[in-house]
Amino acid sequence: MFERFSREARGAVIEAQLVARATHTRAIDSRHVLVAIAESDGGPARSALTEAGVDVVQLSRSLRADLAGASGLDATALAAIGIDLDEVRRATDATFGDGSFDGVAGRSQRGGKHIPFTPDAKKALELGLREAVRLGASGIDSGHLLLGILRGGSPAAKALQSALAEAGSDDSALRDAVARGSHAA
Amino acid sequence: MASEQTLVASAASDDPQQGLRAVRALRELADRLETLQVERARSLGWSWERIADALGVSKQAVHKKFGRRI
Repeated sequence: MFERFSREARGAVIEAQLVARATHTRAIDSRHVLVAIAESDGGPARSALTEAGVDVVQLSRSLRADLAGASGLDATALAAIGIDLDEVRRATDATFGDGSFDGVAGRSQRGGKHIPFTPDAKKALELGLREAVRLGASGIDSGHLLLGILRGGSPAAKALQSALAEAGSDDSALRDAVARGSHAA
Repeated sequence: MASEQTLVASAASDDPQQGLRAVRALRELADRLETLQVERARSLGWSWERIADALGVSKQAVHKKFGRRI
């Protein structure tokens, strides 16, 4: 399937892994891909989002916060039972080296450096392929990925829908924007 | 403002949501510390048996969890 991805669609998938590392999440779901798309320099998906009125900076910021919380290391919850996470981090880094406490998050999972895709992310990629076929495109670009995410009914789809709602827009406006970009390409 | 935040914090502490998140955070915390400590022990030449003994688990369990990557 990846051989049919456009350069920037591949870029989004690669970037999603960096988002996972940065947020210390253990698997890549469609939210990571959506962050990568929202933060991309350009491309059909980014243009369609902007055209639909979505605040991409706000979208990526709230998704990143959501993902960082999903690593499970909730400082507030720990403070409530008397554990100062900053102090744990400081003491750990003093023994194991600077950054070791946060750096180990990626290693304390099975399979070492490889970050797996969740079924939800795979489904979004597959739905992206279907969107490309539906629009008669020759390959999968980031716009098709975006529609794949939108269709998936995942947390990413919900985040996208609420960002659209905030902009006074909706799913169909985004679909139309992607379709216009797809025909132009 | 400060007293308002204290109130919010104390109200949240008997909330199962907060308590469950704390349990999850403790697991994540333990996972990270375990990985760092096992890596260090191995680099200092500790055997899997000795590490397993200190962790209170079987040698097979610790080897299965860490053997491939450390």
